[in-house]
Amino acid sequence: MATMILNGQEYTLPDNEKLNAIQAAQRFGVEIPYYCWHPALSVVANCRMCEIEVGSKDPKTGEIKMIPKMVPGCQTPARDGTVLVTNSTKVKDHQKMIMEFLLLNHPLDCPVCDQAGECGLQDYSYEYGQANHRFVEERNVNPRKDVSDLIQLNQDRCIMCTRCVRFTREITQTSELQVTRRGSHAEIDIFPGIELDNPLAGNVVDLCPVGALLDKDFLHKQRVWFLAKHDSICAGCSTGCNISAEENRGQLWRFKPRYNPNVNDYWICDAGRYSYKVANDVNLLNSAYLREHGVLGTISIDKALTSVDQSLKATSKDGGKIGAVLSPFLTVEEAFLLSTYIKQLSANSVLALGPVPIEGEDKTYHPDKTTGRTGDVSFVVPRPFTIHAEKCPNRHGVEAVLKHFQGEVIEFKTFTNEVARADYAAIYLTAGGLEPFLDQGVADLLRASTKMLIVQDVHVTPLAQLADIVLPGATFAEKSGSFANADRRLQSFDAALAPRDGSLADLDIFAILLGKSVAPILSNEILAELAEIIPDFAVAKGGKLPEFGAVLGTTPASTTSGSAERFADSWTKHRISSVGSYA
Amino acid sequence: MAAFEPVLSRNWNVAQSHTLPVYESRGGYQAARKALTQMDPDGVVNLIKDSELRGRGGAGFPCGLKWSFLPKDRKETLMCINADESEPATFNNRILMEKDPHQLIEGIIIGCFATKATAAYLYVRFEYIKAYQILERAIDEARAKGYLGKNIFGSGFDLEIWVHRGAGAYICGEETGLIESLEGKRGWPRIKPPFPAVEGAFKKPTVVNNVETLACVPHIVERGADWFKSMGTPKSYGPKLYCISGHVNKQTCVELPLGITCRELIEVHGQGVWKGRKAKAVVPGGISMGLLSADELDTPLDFEAIRKPGCLGLGTAAVTVIDDQTSIVDYLYNCARFFAHESCGQCTPCREGTAWIYKTMKRIKLGGGRMEDLTVLGGIQANLGITPGTTICGLADGAAWPIKNALAKFRPELEEYIKTHQDPRYAVTPLQTAITMGSPTTAAVTPVSIGMSSPTGALRSPHSS
Repeated sequence: MATMILNGQEYTLPDNEKLNAIQAAQRFGVEIPYYCWHPALSVVANCRMCEIEVGSKDPKTGEIKMIPKMVPGCQTPARDGTVLVTNSTKVKDHQKMIMEFLLLNHPLDCPVCDQAGECGLQDYSYEYGQANHRFVEERNVNPRKDVSDLIQLNQDRCIMCTRCVRFTREITQTSELQVTRRGSHAEIDIFPGIELDNPLAGNVVDLCPVGALLDKDFLHKQRVWFLAKHDSICAGCSTGCNISAEENRGQLWRFKPRYNPNVNDYWICDAGRYSYKVANDVNLLNSAYLREHGVLGTISIDKALTSVDQSLKATSKDGGKIGAVLSPFLTVEEAFLLSTYIKQLSANSVLALGPVPIEGEDKTYHPDKTTGRTGDVSFVVPRPFTIHAEKCPNRHGVEAVLKHFQGEVIEFKTFTNEVARADYAAIYLTAGGLEPFLDQGVADLLRASTKMLIVQDVHVTPLAQLADIVLPGATFAEKSGSFANADRRLQSFDAALAPRDGSLADLDIFAILLGKSVAPILSNEILAELAEIIPDFAVAKGGKLPEFGAVLGTTPASTTSGSAERFADSWTKHRISSVGSYA
Repeated sequence: MAAFEPVLSRNWNVAQSHTLPVYESRGGYQAARKALTQMDPDGVVNLIKDSELRGRGGAGFPCGLKWSFLPKDRKETLMCINADESEPATFNNRILMEKDPHQLIEGIIIGCFATKATAAYLYVRFEYIKAYQILERAIDEARAKGYLGKNIFGSGFDLEIWVHRGAGAYICGEETGLIESLEGKRGWPRIKPPFPAVEGAFKKPTVVNNVETLACVPHIVERGADWFKSMGTPKSYGPKLYCISGHVNKQTCVELPLGITCRELIEVHGQGVWKGRKAKAVVPGGISMGLLSADELDTPLDFEAIRKPGCLGLGTAAVTVIDDQTSIVDYLYNCARFFAHESCGQCTPCREGTAWIYKTMKRIKLGGGRMEDLTVLGGIQANLGITPGTTICGLADGAAWPIKNALAKFRPELEEYIKTHQDPRYAVTPLQTAITMGSPTTAAVTPVSIGMSSPTGALRSPHSS
C-alpha cells in the first residue's frame, strides 16, 4: 500500500493506477492549477503553472527531504513516500508570477471573447493570480487567422500550451498544427494550404484552455454562462459518445464531449459535434395528423393517440396482422414499451428492426505514444477512438429488446420483403432519426401493402405524407433514456430540451397507448422495470447505471472501470455556483 | 607554467594540419589504436573517470560519470557531438574542427568505443560551413584508411560518423534541444527525466559530448590520467581553450591549464585592454555566465572558483573584456536582445521573461528608464531558469545572470544612466503607470494619443511615437 504526503497529511494511493501529482492531489480534493497537461497527451511541462514543492520521505528514517527547486506536478509521479506541498508561499508566489507572465501579451478582450466564463486564464487569474502586473512595455500582437473553415485561431490570446499541436500529432496523427517562430513571437500555425480538417479537428477547440482556438459555428452566438448543460449521448453513430448538450432559450447551441474512458475518452467527432443542429430545425414535425376522407389534417395529439389505440385494437380483434418497426433511434425504454404494447394487442404481431443507416467504414484512431515527446508516459493513457459506420445510436439495445419479445431480430429488409408478400392490416413505424431516411419506393410499398399505416417521426418524410396517422415524436435532444452502443454498453442520458410545441416524447406516447399512467413517465422507472424482466438488462437494476455505463449481459460489479470521477479541465466547470442563476 | 605543453592546439600552426597524413605524422590515431586494441570499453570509461575530465561545453559535468549513466543492458547506443557552438564570443570548437578535425574524430572513436556507440552524429552549427566541409573530408579520409566503418583496427568495433548541420538556433546547443533537432523536430528541449543516457535520440540511449571534451580524450588515453590531473586546480583538471575577445589588443584562442586568473589572461595573452584603457567588466565564459567587475579580475577561471564572485559558472571560458568607455546598459541591452531572440518559446517564464527584459532594457537605453525598472528586472531575473526550477533548460538562467550580476555589481552606474538619460519620447505614459497600479486613477483620463492602427493603441507604445 502506497502512502503519500500532501500538504502535511497522509493519503493512501490507489494500487492499480499510476497518477501524477496533479491527478493524485485532485483525488484528495486539492487542486493544482495547470494548462498544458492533459491526461491523454504527452507531458511537456512547458506552461510551468503546476509547479509545486516536491520531496520524498525516507522509508527507514522517516526523514523528509525536499527538492530545493520547484518541480512541475505534471511530470512528478505520485509514489510511496512522495511529499507534495501545494499551499506554501513559495508555490503561491510562483503561480502569481506565471499568471503575470501569461497575461503580459494577452489582449484581455474577455468582453468579446467566447471563452469567457470557461477560461483557464480568467479562473486562475481570479484564484491564483494578482490584480495587476508591472508590464509597461509595448505588447506583442500576434495575428488572428483561420486554420480551417470551422476553426479560428486568435493567436494573440494563445498561451502556447501546445495541447492542440500534441492532439493532432498523437491522437489523430495528422499533424496539421505546429509551432512556428520563436520566443514571445511563437505561433501555432498550419502549413500553407493544409487545413486542420480531420474528422476530430473540433476537439482542439475543447482542448484550448484559453480563447485562442474558437469554433466558428459557435462564435459570438452565446455567452457560455447562459448555457444550461445536460448530460447527453450523441445519436450520430453507434459509438455513443458522451456529450454535454448545451441549451439556452429552447435551443441547442453546441455539443461538448464528456469524459468516458470506456467509450469516447475525451473526444467527439465533428459530425457528432454539429449534429445538434437537427434538434433546432424549424421544419420538424410539430403536430399530429389524421387522414380523413383521403386528406391528412392536423389533430390534437391526444385524439390522435386515441385513434391509434382504437384502430389497432379493432384490427387485432378482427384478426388482422399488425407489424411494428422499431427504429434504432429509439431508446431501450421506448423499444420495451412499444414491444409490450404491440405484443399485448396480439401475440402474432411482428416486431421488426428499423432501417440501420450505414455510411462508409468504421474509422479508428489509435493514439500513438511514440509520436509524442519522450518522457515518462506512464500516466498518459490514451485510448482508441472509433467513428462507426453505423449511423444510429441504439441498434444493439433495440435488438436486445426484440430478442426478448420474439426470440429473433427481423431486419427491415426482411420485413419489407414480407410486407410485399403477406397482407398486413396495420403497420406502426417509428423513425426519429437524425435524417429522414425512407425513400419513396419503400414508402409506396408500405402504403400499398397495408390498410392502416401509423408513422411516428420527427421529420416530414415521403412516408409521413402517405400515412393514415402521423405522430410527432421527440428528437434525440428532447428525450431521456438509455442507448446501448456498438460495444453493447448501456448508457443513460437526460433530455436537453422540452418537447417541441405539438409533439410528445416517444416514451409518453407509448405509455399513454399502454394506458400506463397519467403522471409523467420517468425513463429510469421503465429501465428498472426492464431490468427485472429482461436478463440482459440486469445491469440496470433499479434503473441506475454506473457512471460510465454498463455492458449488456454483464453483472454490475464487473463493469466498473476507469477512474472514479469524470475528468474535466477545471475551467470548463462552473466554478461559482451562483453563476447558474443568471440563466 | 613554463612546463605547460599545449596538446589540444599543438597542430594548429602546422601546415595542412587538417589532413590525415599530417595528423598521423604527428602521432595521430595512436591513442585510438591503443584504446581499441589494448583496452576494453570499461577500462576507457574508468580511465576517463580517473582523469576527472569535466565537460567543456559549459556545465562542467564529469565526462566519465556521464558515460557510466548508460543503462548496463542497452542494445544500442548513440553518440551526439555537440558542435553547435553558439555562445556569443566562443570560437574554440570552430578552430578545433577547422585546424585539427582528426583529433576530434579520434576522440569520437575512443568515446564511442568506451560507450559502445555504433553511430555518432556530429551536430555542427549552421554557420560553420568551413568546419563542416573540412570534417566531411576528414571523415572520408579516415573511412578510406579504415579508421571508421567496420572492424576498426581489427578490434571488431564498428563506427560511422554522420555530420548534421543545424539550422541556426542557439537552443539546439542544449543537449536535448540538439537531439530533438537531430530527429528533425523543432529544437525544443525535453523534460528530464528521462535523461538522454536512458532515452535520447530516436528513443535510444545517447551520450552528448562537446567537441573540446572529446578532443581531450585521445590525450588522456595516450598520456594517462595522472598527466591530465597534473594540470589545473582541484576539481578542474587539464588543459582548456580560452577565447579572449572584446576590448583587448589581441583577440585570440589559447590553450592553458584550467585555473588561470582572468587578469593574467587579459594582460599576458590578450596583451592588455585596448587603447590603453582599463577593463570595466569581464564576461568570464560566454554571456550567459554573468559578469566580473574590475575588482574581481584575479578570480581563477575554473569550474569552481568562478562561482565565488556570483557568476553562473565557467561556461565556455570565452572571456570578453568590456572597457571603461562602454556603458553597461548597452551591454545588457545586447545580451537581452540575444536571449529574447533565441528563447525557443516553450516555457512561459523564459518566453515572456526574456522578451520583457529586452523591452525594458531597450526603453532604458533609449531614455525612458525609471528607477523601479531595476526592481522589476531584479524580480524577473530571480524567477528565470533551472536554478529556481521554472524552466526546462538553462537558457533562461543565461538570460538572467547578466542582469543579476549587473544589478549587484553595477547598480550605481545603471541608476546614473537612468538619471542622465531621460527622453520624454520614450517615457512610460501615465496611463501605463496607472494600469500597473491596478487602480483607475485620474491619470487614466489624461488624454492619450489614440488613433494608431494597433489594437493596443490605447496603451500608447513608448517606441512607436
